[in-house]
Amino acid sequence: MKIKTVTILGANGTMGSNVSGIFASFGNAKVYMVSRIIEDSFEAKKKAALSVRSEAIQRNLIPKGYEDLSECINESDLIFESVSEDFSVKEKIIQKIKGCLQTEPLIATGSSGLSIQKLSSLLPERLKSRFMGIHFYNPPYNLPACEVIPSEYTDDQVLEATKNYLSGVLFRKVIQVKDSPAFLGNRIGFFFINKAMIFAEKYKAEGGTDYIDAILGPFSGRSMPPLVTSNFVGLDVHKAIVDNVFLNSHDPAIKSFKFPAYGDELIASGCLGRKSGGGLYKTITLENGKKEIHVYDIKDMKYRKRRKYFFPFSEKIVSLLKEGRYSDAIHGMINSDSPEAKICLEFLLEYICYSIYYSVELTGDYHASDDVMATGFNWIPPLALIDAMGGKDLFLDVLNNVQEVDQDLKECFVQLWSNIPSSKFDYRPFLKALN
Amino acid sequence: MKSSKVFFIGGSQTDFERNWTKEGKNEIAILREVVEDGLRCSKISFDDISDLNKRNRVAIFVGNFIGELYVRQGHLGGLLTEVHSAFYGVPSARYEAACASSSVALDAAITKIRSGDYDLAIVIGWELMKTVDSKTGGDYLGYAALREKEAEGIEFPFPKLFGKLASELLKRSPLNKELFLQDLAHISNKNYQNAKRNRNSQTRKWFMSEEHASDRGSKTNPFVGELLSVTDCSQVTDGAAMVVLASERFVEGSFPNENFPFVKGWGHRVAPMSFEKKMDESRSSKYVLPWTRQAIIDAYGRAKLSFEDMNVFETHDCFTSSEYAALSAFGFCIPGEEHRVLEEGLVEFKGAKPINPSGGLIGCGHPVGGTGTRMFLDVAKQVAGIAEGYQVRNCDNGIMLNIGGSATSNYVFIIGR
Repeated sequence: MKIKTVTILGANGTMGSNVSGIFASFGNAKVYMVSRIIEDSFEAKKKAALSVRSEAIQRNLIPKGYEDLSECINESDLIFESVSEDFSVKEKIIQKIKGCLQTEPLIATGSSGLSIQKLSSLLPERLKSRFMGIHFYNPPYNLPACEVIPSEYTDDQVLEATKNYLSGVLFRKVIQVKDSPAFLGNRIGFFFINKAMIFAEKYKAEGGTDYIDAILGPFSGRSMPPLVTSNFVGLDVHKAIVDNVFLNSHDPAIKSFKFPAYGDELIASGCLGRKSGGGLYKTITLENGKKEIHVYDIKDMKYRKRRKYFFPFSEKIVSLLKEGRYSDAIHGMINSDSPEAKICLEFLLEYICYSIYYSVELTGDYHASDDVMATGFNWIPPLALIDAMGGKDLFLDVLNNVQEVDQDLKECFVQLWSNIPSSKFDYRPFLKALN
Repeated sequence: MKSSKVFFIGGSQTDFERNWTKEGKNEIAILREVVEDGLRCSKISFDDISDLNKRNRVAIFVGNFIGELYVRQGHLGGLLTEVHSAFYGVPSARYEAACASSSVALDAAITKIRSGDYDLAIVIGWELMKTVDSKTGGDYLGYAALREKEAEGIEFPFPKLFGKLASELLKRSPLNKELFLQDLAHISNKNYQNAKRNRNSQTRKWFMSEEHASDRGSKTNPFVGELLSVTDCSQVTDGAAMVVLASERFVEGSFPNENFPFVKGWGHRVAPMSFEKKMDESRSSKYVLPWTRQAIIDAYGRAKLSFEDMNVFETHDCFTSSEYAALSAFGFCIPGEEHRVLEEGLVEFKGAKPINPSGGLIGCGHPVGGTGTRMFLDVAKQVAGIAEGYQVRNCDNGIMLNIGGSATSNYVFIIGR
């Protein structure tokens, strides 16, 4: 598949500009960056070049407005829409494309979880076979995961050629996923993050949000604690993802997708996260100019200074990981009687069960959840976590000994147990010696 | 002893993409990982080490440039006892020659096996460089130059020294500046593209093109020394590489059916420490780095092989100018005709004589004290046919050139079967 020219709609957004950079650099494609206001496209062009650390690619980036849409798309081999994650907004854009398209290029939506089938149905027959979801992770230069989601109309040859282009030319880690709410990566990631938000409320007397984040810190296999991640992406985006799963799917862990009421209250008061100046966390500038991180205290319903928790189990894990003693660190957690270690273990066990269950459910591949969580979230891949626990036999013993793990989820997982392979990833870089 | 052959039986490299400081991990962690992986790959257990040690048949050789500054730890031979108790009592010492430190460790290990003193040698090269900011790190690297004259009070002294090498090469080249710089950009881009096939390389996810490498002086590719820009420069890297070497007696006893690669030749020459004196001395030579050339000739001579017999090359591209200078030193051409070699595509991954299929220092990474063992490991893997995604075809013999300072210490090893 030759992709010489690409049109990106919504190029002024974070994903739009970053994805433009990927096509213009690795793909060496001419990229029309289309935004409602052309000045925004010029700004986005600079950001796109910096996102791949190369001003030289700017010659491939051409800022445009919607008045030039027809000219751009009819010259393009690929049209990629990256407008807001709202079905009605995407519907309007697809109608616009349909209205002026005379050629038959590849058409892709960058949606992170809307129904590809439903979006596809907006197109005429001749274009349906050339439409699919291509979900990049942000920032795509650092996170190469790329979910490809065909509709039932997508032509097999077009699909294969697109996957080959994404992996061979753009150096993406391609994961083909069934059309399902939130696809695979966000389904797993927000299962974990939303459960953390629910647990923050459950343990609000102990501290809530920062208490749960301290239990699930970088030593547990992620660069950023889960509720810091929610604050980073924004509670509105978080809610849209989990609501979509909660309303549109049958899931053995569906209760973990129920967005907590305190989150709705924060959203209603405009506290979305980093982008709105505060959400679950906010940064306060003190009189002396120093910055201080504050957290929303669920019990008191107001912000307070983030606490430094001291958990003997995590201190021990961190000191062992510092010297590369991974097995001792993991077994230190498994064998600890502290309530915090038990919460951490419950999360990790459910993460493994849920990820592998959905990996097989949505892709037929046991490794897909490893691929997407490692390269899309930078989280320890679930199969690699089983390896870190000493392999699948030892893991099953641990799972059977922890009563807190959701029984339905456990049953779904145990049916797959005999076929579980070792991971292709090394678990060691993911387990950070950091609280 | 029947033979003086020294065999490569296995080894390992850490993932050079990792930032161990950001992971919160220390020098014991990186040593533990590289040792555990290297022994597993070599099918040697810690119990085997204990058994060999009872008879004083195993030793450890550590290459590291300047851990005293980067991680504030000295006595790096003894440090291995923190990794495993099987190393208690095992002779272990640290060797240093700037960026060629682990080649000195290899040299010592090879000598001790060839002499019959030991049957098994564990050679580890490592450096953790991301413990400090780039300016401080640049200052530390200045210890590899003639510090008082070449580095004291100078920001990033080495890019400036290798920038001078580029200027000298240009002066001696028939090319104009534009074409010469295009050749250097080509070398950089080649090594970045090669690194994409190597799952342990530092830059495997990075974008690079010849156009970007030629866009010198821009915000994303600023100048670092005279003609050279960031894309002409190798990386600041955390990393370790280990190789396990064995005597013929040990291989016959423990691995009778294996056809391991072995060391066929070596060269070690030291040029004047100061770059100015190097250039003064080389004015009477065709070669800009005559002692680098001599180390290679020595290695060919000891191996009773020539340039024509070499199938793969790992060279010390700390800067594009050093790979350019290595072309004539290896014998690809006479000095001044390097552009022809590059035009013909001989040194590309799919060419007849690939240089740096691993990505080299520019693409794979350059943890200074670990680079010699990393290069040795890569050449040995190519000869053994176990280089995975970056395996070259028909590889019977390979050669590595590892330099320390501004090509002051020059180490060459030829490995073949």
